[in-house]
Amino acid sequence: MATISSAVGEDQPPQPSLTFTRPVFAKLSPHPYLLHTLSPSDPSVPSSRTNGRKPQEARKIQINTSSLSQAHGSALVRTGDTTVICGVRGEILPVSSIPQFRADQHKNYNYDGEDKRIEQGKKELLEYDLLVPNIELATGCAPQFLPGVPPTTLAQTVSTRVYSLLHSAGIVDVEGLRVWYTPAKRDEDKMEEDDREEEELEPEVKGYWVLYIDLLFVSFDGNPFDAAWTAVMAALRDTKLPNARWDPDREMVVCEKGEGKRLDVRGLPVACSAAVFLEKEHAEDREGDRHWILLDPDRQEEGLCKEVITAVVDCSGGQGETKIRSLEKQGGTVLGRELIRGFVGVAEERWKEVAAEMPQ
Amino acid sequence: MTATSEPEAALGVLPRADGSAKYSHAGYTVTAAVNGPIEAQRKDENPYEAHVDVIVRPAAGVGGTRERHLESILQSSLSHIILIKNFPRSLIQIVLQVEDSPENDYVNTKLVQGNLNFAIMPALFQTAVLALLSAGVPMRATATATAVAVVFHDGVKRTVVDPSPREIEIARSVHVLAFTSHDELLLAESEGDFIVKEWDEVYETAKKICCHSAPADDGMQMALDEEAAAGPDMRHFLRSTMESKVAADLYWK
Repeated sequence: MATISSAVGEDQPPQPSLTFTRPVFAKLSPHPYLLHTLSPSDPSVPSSRTNGRKPQEARKIQINTSSLSQAHGSALVRTGDTTVICGVRGEILPVSSIPQFRADQHKNYNYDGEDKRIEQGKKELLEYDLLVPNIELATGCAPQFLPGVPPTTLAQTVSTRVYSLLHSAGIVDVEGLRVWYTPAKRDEDKMEEDDREEEELEPEVKGYWVLYIDLLFVSFDGNPFDAAWTAVMAALRDTKLPNARWDPDREMVVCEKGEGKRLDVRGLPVACSAAVFLEKEHAEDREGDRHWILLDPDRQEEGLCKEVITAVVDCSGGQGETKIRSLEKQGGTVLGRELIRGFVGVAEERWKEVAAEMPQ
Repeated sequence: MTATSEPEAALGVLPRADGSAKYSHAGYTVTAAVNGPIEAQRKDENPYEAHVDVIVRPAAGVGGTRERHLESILQSSLSHIILIKNFPRSLIQIVLQVEDSPENDYVNTKLVQGNLNFAIMPALFQTAVLALLSAGVPMRATATATAVAVVFHDGVKRTVVDPSPREIEIARSVHVLAFTSHDELLLAESEGDFIVKEWDEVYETAKKICCHSAPADDGMQMALDEEAAAGPDMRHFLRSTMESKVAADLYWK
């Protein structure tokens, strides 16, 4: 220590000391430091985390949309030092390229009621792979991710979770992705009776929009899923697909110039994550151990916590009980039934914060 | 229907692994091999605890992002029940090979699927725990897992234990829960559309299956009669599998 102090400046007398400054202590032994700030010896000091937040305080979220000019929809989401950019780009998938495509499958269910229609739509999205999310973490966004290496387990896990939630929550209506074509009347048909023409002129699906949803982490400071999911939601709500129509002469789908129709997005699920911080770092026996639930953990806290929980809730339905879209808890046994129930309430609060920031 | 069948298991099926198990239930058959504690790779070495490495191999093809996600879920749950602090700087490797999975006759099965497969999770989890027991890896507790689906059929809500792929497809929500032998909730994964009340019901159902208190020797017959309706009693199954394995191994004495 003495040699380090002497290097600071010639004018100051060297101050040999055995105590560390706060940032040094936090870097060297993060667990005792976080424990100390969470349970201060002085009762008048409120319990806080290393990053200055209260245990149940999330970082403020900022959402910017339409920042990418080449994408059909995009969003930049920032929570603290976690920044993620999401671009949605649509590409046409002609039905002739879909193996085992059955045209009759899509005709009748409009009469079967809304639930059945949504169910069928979900199946269609899944079967034809119309939503393709991809997550890139190796951008130098954090020291632990080396650029130019194959996707890490974390990147693959987050991408599976986003993919799974996109499909299970059914937020994209497949109707918005279909390209319909109604065959035009031919001249000789004009002579025939009306009812026969009606039968012939049934519209058919000629193609689909495939949405490539690319997520890029610009900087990474913990809680990747919440930020990634918010970015996906904001980008999808921002997406405008050009008007596409089937050209029977060229036998291909052609798009009109200019801005098209806004994509129909159902509901607003919001993800809320927390990590459980335990009092003893290396103890096997957890009996009587204190614990803290840290909402929206940053990178350092994620390294110290093993048990994590993520709840995806949707309160956009208005009155009635909150709908839970997904609940994931793993890595420990602290969060039991009561705590998980309580956590859903915390997630509802987070929903209000994020929904307020979400551009309309 | 396969879903109602009793679980089956065999321990020590692989001669060269430290421990192994084969488990089949609800149409899934999984074989697991456990090696450990063995030397860890430099990058996985942790000075305070053992690194638990879980590898999931699907029935066909190579593992994709979905398998990575399953691995990370299993890894975090199993590290919690294994006494990893006893083996610093070492590695405990668990390889899970899916041998058979039930097919859904209603859809074309794609080889690479991105979405989560909830129904397979209990089978993987249970096989891993059995193989760890077979390898004699010290554990804080054993654990049992189950999958529960909430299905709305003709406006009537039903809770389905160990759902088939078709039931998962039409289910409103699917849940996987795992409990330790101290009745603590170890893992909870849910997806779909549900409310807190429904989750509570699912929790009760799963807890009944996972944490049914092991019957005492004299009350065995009575308990077995009661269970018939409630679905499989996973904890009792785990115990009796181990008991019969130990009895077979000590037969020569």
